[in-house]
Amino acid sequence: ARSSTVEGSLKYKNFFGYGDLWDGSLAYGYDHSAELSAGVFLPRFKGLVTPVTARAYLLSQDWLKFSSYKERSMGLSLGLFSTPYHDLAYNLAWRTLTDPSQMSSRSIRRQLGHNLLSSLKYTFKFDRRNSTMRPTRGYAFVSTTQIGGLTPDSRSLRFLRQEFDLRYVVPLGFYHAALNFGVSGGVVFPWGNGFSSRPSSLPERFFLGGNISPVCALGGPTALWGFKTRGLGPTEPKRQVNNENADPSGVDFLGGDLAVTALADLSFDLPFRWFREKGIHAHVFACAGNVAKLTENEYRNISVQKFVESLRSSVGVGLVVPTSLFRMELNYCYILKKLDHDRAKTGVWLTFSAAS
Amino acid sequence: MEQVVGEREAEEFTVVARKPYFGLPTACPICLPLFIYLKLAHFPFRLSFNSIFPDSDQIPYVESGTYVAYNNENSGVVECLKKDGIVDLDSEFQSAPDWVSIQAMINSWLADALTYELWVGTDGRSAYKIYYSDLSWPIGKVLFLKQVYSVKQRLGITKDNAEHREDEIYRRAKIAYGALSTKLGEQNFLFDDRPSSLDATFLGHVLVTLHVLPDTSVLRSKLLEHDNIVRYAEKLKTELIESGSSSSGPQFRSVPSSSTPRKGPSNWSSKPKSKPKREKTEEEKTFKRRAKYFLAAQLLAVLLFLSVMGGYDSGDLELDDEDEGISFN
Repeated sequence: ARSSTVEGSLKYKNFFGYGDLWDGSLAYGYDHSAELSAGVFLPRFKGLVTPVTARAYLLSQDWLKFSSYKERSMGLSLGLFSTPYHDLAYNLAWRTLTDPSQMSSRSIRRQLGHNLLSSLKYTFKFDRRNSTMRPTRGYAFVSTTQIGGLTPDSRSLRFLRQEFDLRYVVPLGFYHAALNFGVSGGVVFPWGNGFSSRPSSLPERFFLGGNISPVCALGGPTALWGFKTRGLGPTEPKRQVNNENADPSGVDFLGGDLAVTALADLSFDLPFRWFREKGIHAHVFACAGNVAKLTENEYRNISVQKFVESLRSSVGVGLVVPTSLFRMELNYCYILKKLDHDRAKTGVWLTFSAAS
Repeated sequence: MEQVVGEREAEEFTVVARKPYFGLPTACPICLPLFIYLKLAHFPFRLSFNSIFPDSDQIPYVESGTYVAYNNENSGVVECLKKDGIVDLDSEFQSAPDWVSIQAMINSWLADALTYELWVGTDGRSAYKIYYSDLSWPIGKVLFLKQVYSVKQRLGITKDNAEHREDEIYRRAKIAYGALSTKLGEQNFLFDDRPSSLDATFLGHVLVTLHVLPDTSVLRSKLLEHDNIVRYAEKLKTELIESGSSSSGPQFRSVPSSSTPRKGPSNWSSKPKSKPKREKTEEEKTFKRRAKYFLAAQLLAVLLFLSVMGGYDSGDLELDDEDEGISFN
């Protein structure tokens, strides 16, 4: 999840008498996204070993404020294979990017239009942490590979996307304290003729920032404490309508093809019984991350040194309130390093995260 | 006279239009007039294409740095460029007494006629190639059908009045062609023998009609009746598009058409083509009527078969019962 969401759903069990589970749901995200979907879960379908899920959805995401475009998707996703460690899903969608504000930058304008997405996504997940809300020992590794363009039609969206997450938690033995280390990375690249000179698809790129906690997020590089949604990375000036009112913050965040984040989090109980009983604890944290462009031959200009030199970072301290539904953090973040156009602030932040 | 803002000269202008096809730098009837206008003004620009957003009213647009002039703002890109002081060919013509009437005729009657012919009159085959050939098939097909429906709605075409509206559209186009042919005469341009935005709009219409529409097109045959318009279009096409000017950007690559090569202007027939549309419509009606009769006959046959077989089956059962009764005895 890129941001916290509120979801409501209706379920109907055993409609056909095969243990089938039907559901319809409506979800609204903090990042101005809305999704209407309906799905079915079949525990046993035609002798297949694992359950099969099918989901039809209508998704709308409003990125006008950050990147001057709106995304609408209509599609079907099929869960083909699912075990505690492996998950294989196929997604077929009609996706449209529009800019009703007509203020987008050049790179965004070039991406507006319709695309057919036909992709296969494989996830390997190995989570040996004792808790996802407050891990105090264990480790986790998640790798997600997505291949797009699986149709005979060469006009569908062709890309290769790889993400990974690594978490390691060291218990410290006092005040229920634990040191949580994490690193996440991801890369996306188009494939096909002339792939190195073509841009990657905008929705497939990596965007860092948002109001979710990096400790909980296990879906690739997504969040950094102290940075707003899509708050860092390559930018491009938006369209200028009136030259006299040049807006210094009038930029579009374009995302990147390569993203890396790292975190270190020390969590510990507070010396008050009431807090301990409720599970409320404190943490001190530090994180760093960066996003870079590789496509359109930009990979020739990038180097490890440049990438490391432009790493953004922040530190902070906060209170964590875990509930049965989500984990809430009230943090004070101090931005150690940011670049000119980054949307980050030193101050109080509130984050909501679901267990992943 | 053209006016160019000095501060913008350093930034390259790019025109984003729909893809080239049928030997034209852009085969879209909305994009081509803009291309021609900038060529007439000897304004340097690069040409870029967007082929995944056929239903956008923002295309074509002109961009330079952070400046963008969209098609759906301020009555179009040409008006935007005039208003922003970038290129203006019309400063001396707009006070001409017939400027407004000719502009209205081109932008309404001729535009409607070309829209009708492209999407409805010729079954949309050419339009599909221009707008949807770079989209995946299911998306292209759905958007195409949506656009055909939208065009019919906009032109007020229903099943009941389709023929009447078609006649009206062609009649108005014929009147417009006649008036413009008279206005043009043997001049190089419509007004005072100097180029204007109306030349760009009219020339765009004529080139699309001649090169994009098929030979069986009624609108195309009506246009071919006016030799001076055809000569005007071919001459300017040769000057502006085929030879290319010194200030133009990279030459476009036109996509080779898979159909038989189009004939040149000297081979175009000026005789109006017969109207196969009416006969085809009657044939279609006859075919549909016969198809309905056939289906009804099939359904009746199935019902008869089931009823007859149902009665025979019950008779067999009765005989079996009698046999059992006899054997029991």
